[in-house]
Amino acid sequence: MSSFGPTSPSNRVRIVVATSVMLTFISYWRAAAIVLNDLASSGFYACGIAEQAVGKSAPWFIVAVMLFSFAVRAVYVESCSMFVRGGVYKVVKEALGGTLAKLSVSALMFDYILTGPISGVSAGQYIVGLVNETFITADIHGWIPRAVHNIFHGTPHLNVNLTSVVIALAVTIYYWWENTKGIQESSEKALRVMQITTVMVVILLAWSAFTLLKAGYNPVPLPIPQNLHFSKESLGFLSHSFPEQDLAKMFGLLGILIAFGHSVLAMSGEESLAQVNRELAHPKLKNLKKAAIVIAIYSFVFTGLSALLSVMLIPDAVRVPVYKDNLISGLAMYMWGPLILRLIFRAFVVVVGFLILSGAVNTAIIGSNGVLNRVSEDGVLADWFRVPHRKYGTSSRIINMVVVLQILTILASRGDVYVLGEAYAFGVIWSFTFNSLSMLVLRFKYKGERGWKVPPNITIAGTEIPIGLFAVMLVLLSTALVNLATKSVATVAGVSFSVVFFVIFTVSEHANRKKHALAKEHMKDHFQLLQSDTVDRGSLGIRPGNVLVPVRDYNTLNHLRWVLEHSDTREQDVVVMTARVSQFGTAAYGLSSEQVFSDYEQTLFTRAVSVAESVGKRISLLVVPARDPWSAIAQTAHNLESSAVAAGISSKMTAAEQAFALGSAWEAIPEPKKQFVLQIVQPGGIVDTFRIGPHTPTMKNEDVALLHRLWLNITREPGLENVHHHDILTQALTRFAHDYGARDHDNIVKELGRHSAADGPLPVRRIADQIATVQPEPTRPDRDEGPQSPKE
Amino acid sequence: MGLLIITVLVRILETMLVVGATGSVVVLVLSGIEDLKLLFGREEQNYS
Repeated sequence: MSSFGPTSPSNRVRIVVATSVMLTFISYWRAAAIVLNDLASSGFYACGIAEQAVGKSAPWFIVAVMLFSFAVRAVYVESCSMFVRGGVYKVVKEALGGTLAKLSVSALMFDYILTGPISGVSAGQYIVGLVNETFITADIHGWIPRAVHNIFHGTPHLNVNLTSVVIALAVTIYYWWENTKGIQESSEKALRVMQITTVMVVILLAWSAFTLLKAGYNPVPLPIPQNLHFSKESLGFLSHSFPEQDLAKMFGLLGILIAFGHSVLAMSGEESLAQVNRELAHPKLKNLKKAAIVIAIYSFVFTGLSALLSVMLIPDAVRVPVYKDNLISGLAMYMWGPLILRLIFRAFVVVVGFLILSGAVNTAIIGSNGVLNRVSEDGVLADWFRVPHRKYGTSSRIINMVVVLQILTILASRGDVYVLGEAYAFGVIWSFTFNSLSMLVLRFKYKGERGWKVPPNITIAGTEIPIGLFAVMLVLLSTALVNLATKSVATVAGVSFSVVFFVIFTVSEHANRKKHALAKEHMKDHFQLLQSDTVDRGSLGIRPGNVLVPVRDYNTLNHLRWVLEHSDTREQDVVVMTARVSQFGTAAYGLSSEQVFSDYEQTLFTRAVSVAESVGKRISLLVVPARDPWSAIAQTAHNLESSAVAAGISSKMTAAEQAFALGSAWEAIPEPKKQFVLQIVQPGGIVDTFRIGPHTPTMKNEDVALLHRLWLNITREPGLENVHHHDILTQALTRFAHDYGARDHDNIVKELGRHSAADGPLPVRRIADQIATVQPEPTRPDRDEGPQSPKE
Repeated sequence: MGLLIITVLVRILETMLVVGATGSVVVLVLSGIEDLKLLFGREEQNYS
């Protein structure tokens, strides 16, 4: 148990810092869905951009990039199988040094920040394309009123780029607000989106195959230097020195490399694989590999084949001029069949495109926020950025900065997907290159555990030579270098962005070093950090039946005071815990204790200790990293065998909603598990008590009376004299469960719905097919009752 | 002289591409075989 008071080393407050993130584990299908939400979104714009740059043979390069992504995926699997602690900055720093690490993080940030604008604008292009096409079709049929005709001086139409900018801004602002409020990234949603996308892909491929049989196809020129037709823009800085069509002939392979570089953004999103890794269920490596296989095959089939089909089926005259920014829509319009069916399918493509592309906008904000949070934890971004939002507790300053940068990018692009794509490729290729380079260097420097290695590897004179890793790095590096010369927009934008971020990181690191040295001194005087891989009673030195008090905001510790005033800490330990929430996108590597216990936690615990001192009681302190705070609380209560959890009222949720969230997290814990009591302490001292886990429900008087009447009647039946009240309940519940699971399901749901409406809203949100485990106690004010123990 | 330097640089990049692409094909084949084993191989049975 911890102590407080004088600052001699033995009396310093002990804080147990758990360094393993408390995660809610997901299957490899869900992990694959999360990654594919990002990766598959590239399929909607990658080929259009590549064809504008290199000509009609672009689909072959997209296919080549998708095949190469199988090898890049192997590098990410190796990086995920290493058991290192620290953020991406620390890992790259270990391999390549501080300067390259900062550049690497800058490139990754550029990648993440550009993902939002390109996805938002692309979603806008698909929507506007459909609206304009609908206007044209309606006009052909004479459905457009003359007055509308006069307003537009012809067929009504929307300005494609301008409207795309407006849509991209709207989507970005919507997700800015959602992220400021702190929405959880849901694997369930990602899975649903991918299921709908799969329906679209299956229809697309099947209908395309039918169209190929019925209507024939245009051949796709082979990817040889003679077939490459670079535009002036696609040669970037080289366009000043070489006539565009001579370059490929002068340096045949260079032309191939340039074309490959223009197609590389087709595999953007692959980096998300590293971020879902830590959330994969056991056996982790096996599931990671399975997820990687699903991702690679799916993206190859969708992005690769749809690129080939677009050139095979859409006539040259319209493919680039009309459909360059919404190629899949163009594909839908050139299927074999009636126009109305094609229009319906195009609308479906647009809906799916909007879902997946707007999802990518969200992923970009979450990913940027996650990476910058980690960079801040690594000490290269000022702590100021990480101060939680006053009301929602999110890192809103980072979110604001990211969204402002994204909005500026959208405005600067003026809705031009090609420009955005060119710039985006910079971040994609350089973040891949830095990652593969780091992995290569770490093969020689890092001697720790590694679950898997990119094959092949040969050993010469006792030294292992990583041939496969070296080969992948060579392709990435040569592509990145060529892109520097041929993608002038990307190079200027990417280098400027990286320089700005590099300066921010360097200045922040310098300032943080001084500040952290002071803070460390202060810490040494007051706290003793004990690192622990897992959370258990042994590491904290506490007894079973303790009270767990989650804290987050150091301004709202009333519930801790209430617990301490109502507990006898000689009999029952009080554990104050805070969950250090790492959002999606931050879980690529483990955490070091310094990262988990930051300035903020120090201030929070200093205040918590002050409260304990003022009441004169002892507390134990615990920090746990987690993806979801509810899951962290439930798992910690379970691991510590707590009898009660006492929390403050949330600013976002009602007490009943908090109980439901904790109940749901408790449900996810594997058996065997114990129930506990949740007490929500409101500012006025009112306490709402809930039981978490299955428990005897509180019965209304009339229900008890009904049960008793039934018992009286039943025991009068011959042979049933010995029946008890509980036998009747067992029989009734068994029959109810049978009816609910079979013939009477809908009626029961309706009946319960009516019943709950008549009784007022249910205290917790209910889903028809989910039996909630949380029920509030009937009486609310428990002002004078201390923390409770669960009753059976 | 300028063209010579550019030619040398281009040849270096081309060599990197050829060597890298050849090696990547090997990575693709070897990891593909592992993937097939993972997907279609028999799960280890635990008889304990």
